[in-house]
Order: sequence, then structure tokens, then C-alpha cells
Amino acid sequence: MPKDSTALLLVPTGIGAAIGGYAGDAIPVAKMISQVVGTLITHPNVLNGAGLYWPMDNTLYVEGYALDQFAKGNWHLQRVNSNRVGLLLDKGIEPDLLLRHLQVAEASRATLGLELSDYLVTDEPLEITLQTSASGASWGNITNPSSLLRGADKLINLAQAQAIAVVTRFPEEPPESIVLQNYRQGFGVDPLSGAEAVISHLIVQRFGIPAAHAPALNPLPLSQDISPKAAAEEIGYSFLPSVLVGLSRAPRYINKYQSNSISSADVDYVITPASACGGSALLSLASKGATIIAVEENHTQMRVFPESLGIKAIRVKSYLEAVGVIVSKNCGISLESLGPNISRLERL
Amino acid sequence: MSTHYISAEMDLQDTPLKVQELIESELTKHGEALRWAITQVDEETQKLTLEAIVIKEEV
Repeated sequence: MPKDSTALLLVPTGIGAAIGGYAGDAIPVAKMISQVVGTLITHPNVLNGAGLYWPMDNTLYVEGYALDQFAKGNWHLQRVNSNRVGLLLDKGIEPDLLLRHLQVAEASRATLGLELSDYLVTDEPLEITLQTSASGASWGNITNPSSLLRGADKLINLAQAQAIAVVTRFPEEPPESIVLQNYRQGFGVDPLSGAEAVISHLIVQRFGIPAAHAPALNPLPLSQDISPKAAAEEIGYSFLPSVLVGLSRAPRYINKYQSNSISSADVDYVITPASACGGSALLSLASKGATIIAVEENHTQMRVFPESLGIKAIRVKSYLEAVGVIVSKNCGISLESLGPNISRLERL
Repeated sequence: MSTHYISAEMDLQDTPLKVQELIESELTKHGEALRWAITQVDEETQKLTLEAIVIKEEV
């Protein structure tokens, strides 16, 4: 079966995606799609499962701002064997919690053989605030973004970091918070992930290198009522392991196309939740001839379906069906021929 | 520098490319776009709702 195609799997962060809106719960989808394409491109939100992850040789871990630039054709992706990852820690993290994260970094070196630079603590507390937009999406603000960027700059220029893993102190939601209870039970919007995207986007936008974020939070009280979709965030002191693994092999971003790099023109398929077709990367690729596959059962808080923006998409119910579309098109089998009825050819 | 949330209503366009161009043009009035998405489309009024995070450099 031909497998040399390239697919982009999008599950926008902070919009309450029923699949992929929690703790690494779209990893099985990514694993499945990676089996039927030559290259799968997707973002940290899909591949990070806190302490759980599943490295795949043909899957590229690309931060969301970089994905937007890639889709526009401004940046290309260059595969690497490894990156030297710089760990940037928020000065607002308490000493015990900071030590837990340093232990994750040391463990990733000793058990996985990852290459990390010396770490850096920001010169000011970053002071993250969490917000919810009118649409119900989560987002957030950084009180001291300049301190974040100064820290990243030092890691890149003094410690030769090639990718930045950033850990910031996030505000604690009280365990009785409805938003937190819903999230732990597998409903609603991740209240943290919109702010996480702002943090990693700032670093990628400024420095043009891979970055990803893990929030620092104290463990929540033990509960017997945790959804499997959120359980990955209940099982450790840190969400950092999957971030370090993802960044250790994340492709670099280059401005000038090279023969072995991947460009937006190489993308054959974009798989997206059907109700979340209003993002920059999708609009760019829809204009470039990629086949858009819109998955209906991955509900989100958004109400932007492909047809409403003039995007030609193949609607499917599930990711299982999406894989069928990819396999059929890769094999040159028309989708119509697989249905119960086939319309007759008309004379032109 | 600082980051800001913006919400705006805009006219729907007839191609995805025109929609994207219009949004990016609108956002440059507010700063440098960091992240944006159309969150709702009203086909009756032919309006779309945009939410964005932009960067403003302090002068």
C-alpha cells in the first residue's frame, strides 16, 4: 500500500475537543493515522500525555505557531536526529515543586538518554492568569512576558539550546471548582491549555525554534471519579516528561526550502474536528489543495464548519472513517465506489 | 511587551484565502497576531466572529 503521503492532524487546544481536549487523549488517533501515511505532522497538544507519550519515527512534533507559519509557506520543517533541550523554569515555582521538575529533567537524561542543556530560572515570576473567552475557549496572559523571553534567549545563546521546554507556575483551581471537576471527569474545556499556547507561541514567534510548555501545579487530592481521558495528569508530580520527549526530536524550522525539508505543498491531508475549521493553518492549507477531512464526532466549543467558510471538505463521523478516506485515496480508490449507490456517468 | 485578547466581528468572504487575508489585515491594526481563530459563523448575517491574542510592544 502506498504510504508516502503527508498528513496534518489538528486538534486545536483549549476549545474543549471531545477527543484530544484532555490529557494526551488523541495519542491513539495519532498512532493510528501514523500507520497509513509516510509523515504525520501534529502538535504538542495531541502528543503530550503528561508522563505518558508514544514516540513515533514518522511523526513530527510541531508547535502551533510554527504550524501556522508552516501552513502559510513561510517556514519549512527539517527533520533532526535530536535536539539539545533547554529547560526554562518560572521563578514563581516553589522550591519543592521546582525540584520535582529538575528531577524529571535528570531522569529523562538518565533513563531516555535525552540531551539537555543546563537549566535556567527566569529573573522574575511570570505570573500567569487564566481566562475564558466569549466562545468558551480558554486563554491566558503572562504578566512578565519579557522575563520569559530573556530566559529563552539565554538558554539559546549561552547554553546552545536548540529547543525550549518551559515550565510556568499556573494558578491553582480549588478542587471544588466546577471547571476543574468537569475537566477531571472528561467534560468541558481544559482551563490551562489556552494560556499554555500563548506561552509557547511567544517563544516560537520570537526565536523560531521548537518550544512547548508544561504547567507546574501541586498534585490534586486523590479522587475515584477521574475520567480515563484526564487520568494522565493525575499520576505524577509533573507534566514535563512528554514535553521533553517531544522536543528532543522536534523538527527545526527553516525559512529556506531544502530538498530534504517538508513544506506546506507536501501536505496531502488535514484532519480536523468538523466544528473547528476557523484556524489559520487550516485556512492556509485549504487554499493550497490539501484534502480536508472533517471529523464530526470530535465535538468542540467552536461553531465553524467547513462549508460556512467555503472550505471543500470530506465529512466523516469518526477518526476510524478518516483513516479509511486516507487509505482509499492513497490507493487510488474513489470514495464513491465504496458506497451502496454509484451515480451514472453523464455525457458532457 | 504585553499580550492582549481581541474579539471582533467581520464580514464573511467567499473564499478561505480572502477570509484569512481580511483577518490578518484587521489584526495588524491591534498589534502582532500570536494566535487567532474564527469561533462562529452566522450564515444568515454573513458575519464571522474572530478571537485573537496579539502582542503589543511597549513604546
